[in-house]
Amino acid sequence: MSNQTIDRRSFLKGAAASAAAVIGTQLAATDTAPAAAAAAEVKEAEQSGDKVISRPGSDFMVDVIKATGIEYIASNPGSSFRSLQESIVNYGGNKKPEFLTCMHEESSVAMAHGYAKAAGKPMGIMAHGTVGLQHATMAVYNAWCDRVPIMMFAGNILDADKRRPGVEWYHCVQDPAAIHRDFTKWDDQPLSLQHFAESVIRAYKIATTPPMGPVLITADGDLAEGPIHDEKKLRIPKLTISIPSQGDSGAVSEAAKMLVAAERPVILADRMARSQEGMKRLVELAEMLNAPVVDIGGRMNFPTTHYLCRGEDRRALIMGADVVLLLEVADPWGQFNTISDPHHEYRRLGKADVKTIHISLGDTLTKSNYQDMQRFMPVDLPISGDAQATLPALTEAVKREAGIARRTALADRSSKLRTDYARMKERARAAAGEGWDAKPVSTARLSAHLWNTIKNEQWCLATSGIQWNRNLWPATEYCNFLGGSGGSGVGYSAPAAVGAALANRDKGIVTVSIEGDGDLMYAPGVLWTAAHHKIPILMVMHNNRAYHQEVMHLQKMAGLHNRRMDQAAIGTTIENPNIDFAKLAQSMGVWSQGPVTDPGAIGPALSKALAVVKRGEPALIDVVCQGR
Amino acid sequence: MRILFSAMLMIFGAFAVFAQEQAPAGSAERGYQAYMKYQCYTCHGTVGQGADRGTGPKLAPNPISFEGFVRQLRAPRQDMPAYRKQFVSEQEVADIYAYLKSIKPGPMLKDIPLLNFAGK
Repeated sequence: MSNQTIDRRSFLKGAAASAAAVIGTQLAATDTAPAAAAAAEVKEAEQSGDKVISRPGSDFMVDVIKATGIEYIASNPGSSFRSLQESIVNYGGNKKPEFLTCMHEESSVAMAHGYAKAAGKPMGIMAHGTVGLQHATMAVYNAWCDRVPIMMFAGNILDADKRRPGVEWYHCVQDPAAIHRDFTKWDDQPLSLQHFAESVIRAYKIATTPPMGPVLITADGDLAEGPIHDEKKLRIPKLTISIPSQGDSGAVSEAAKMLVAAERPVILADRMARSQEGMKRLVELAEMLNAPVVDIGGRMNFPTTHYLCRGEDRRALIMGADVVLLLEVADPWGQFNTISDPHHEYRRLGKADVKTIHISLGDTLTKSNYQDMQRFMPVDLPISGDAQATLPALTEAVKREAGIARRTALADRSSKLRTDYARMKERARAAAGEGWDAKPVSTARLSAHLWNTIKNEQWCLATSGIQWNRNLWPATEYCNFLGGSGGSGVGYSAPAAVGAALANRDKGIVTVSIEGDGDLMYAPGVLWTAAHHKIPILMVMHNNRAYHQEVMHLQKMAGLHNRRMDQAAIGTTIENPNIDFAKLAQSMGVWSQGPVTDPGAIGPALSKALAVVKRGEPALIDVVCQGR
Repeated sequence: MRILFSAMLMIFGAFAVFAQEQAPAGSAERGYQAYMKYQCYTCHGTVGQGADRGTGPKLAPNPISFEGFVRQLRAPRQDMPAYRKQFVSEQEVADIYAYLKSIKPGPMLKDIPLLNFAGK
């Protein structure tokens, strides 16, 4: 099947006999007579209005994408990849991948970001050449900072001779990935279909090898729209996923010695766990050492119900620690040091002689321009390896290192640690009770009501800017908390939550999110996407009618500059008029209630919303809240 | 040394009580307006309950002494911005303090069923 380009007139002439026979004849003719085929192509070019390409390159591209197992491709439609979109829908049957209609490329990417964290595998996005890629950048940066894999496909027409005049030139670029290259793991612009196949499989493998990250493949429009030449020669490489690397065994033994000998060890876990197994491994190590764990929250690393889970005591634990084990911590320096704001006064938290061990692949994936690598911190024992993959060896080494007497001593720490944990939890509950009946609603009360609504479900809190959830909710499953955006780029929360809900839809997991009002307004069109594709999610607005953090920044600057203190609302608040998020959601087909201002009305509203979600639809409750 | 420390504590305590008593008269109603105008609520909550993620500590009920309150307001420790006299008058400070003192305690923790789940 070297050429499936068929002249429509020839096709119609032969239709009286058999369309299939005509195709076969035509193909046979081209197989045996390349020169004739070339002539036919010229004729077709002359009669472009009649040309039919029944087997375009984009069909093969779909075959390649299907070979990766990608189930969804989120996209705002764009002409530079129109052929690929058409092939996904008509040739691929719009299944695996299914095309998801998004209203902004930033939403497409953020959806894929949330999906990957919930599903444990990447999904695809397509972005229109130049303009779509530019829209996507901030969300890609978030995914990069969060080390989350995303398969990105960009439209482009590299051959200037193939572009139509006007807009198509504006939407074409020599190097589509240039704008993303500082914060993607790999990219390529294939010039043939075989090249496309190999690069897509390579990209998937690179994206999913820890440290993970987004990758970008250009699907050239001319290659996609044109016919496949000599398909018999095309091969889709087999996809195999890399096994994450384990830290050096000698270094692991040394780490075990340091940890066993420590009197006040602390474990800091950030982007450590990739699965429930990762949590289980950390619990095993922590219990063996009786070492408190601070889950920094990049991932769900440790059950909040465990007596060694001590996130709220982070500062005190760091200040007292003699050995600290860091597991994929994005900002190690920031755990041991602070700089006050706005006066930039430095303060060391950790002891001067504290020993540090960091198991991380962070150094294997850094770039120079964007400063997501954080401030450099010297580590006593840096171990280059995947933390989750290294933990079993470390736990075994700890068992070997600790003799009977030492094991008894380690076990004896338990009683005090359990008491400390109970006190920490009691403090959290007491703090949450402050302002319980306040109007606007306290964020602690909002959090407590939401927990009360979902406590009997298998649940996932996909996104939230509220810390109370981690402090208060009993969370034991990896799916419970998905962590933050990575780069703190605003506009992440709602689309990422919808992406996570998509991944959770078939698992029977109820997905909830707490949405900031300023964040949602970046790209609220994702509400329509959730409604259109029947993605069940319970969104709760933390509506404080402000870019609240910026209000506080303005106050700090006014104080620093010795100027009036009552103008911080200018440019930072979202009032006059107040946004009616319930109406906004309803206008896009999302069941909604609000604004809720009475604390007593939150619970009943959430119960109704949960019923909507359980029948497979999105719901939103707008709650007017305290700032934080 | 211990005696000296105890004596200092007593003196400081007595001074605090004196300072508390010396808090100028203020209007809780005007204080609420000033509290909102100067956006104290953004970090400390509208009823002084404090805020999530360590943004601002709890101020009420039972605020610290007036002297300590003024000291922190005018020349703050840590990240809080300074609210100086030329922008927040002494009367406004007294009013804000009166508002904080007027805030009544909320329900007891044991009486909030929604908070009796965590860590158990």
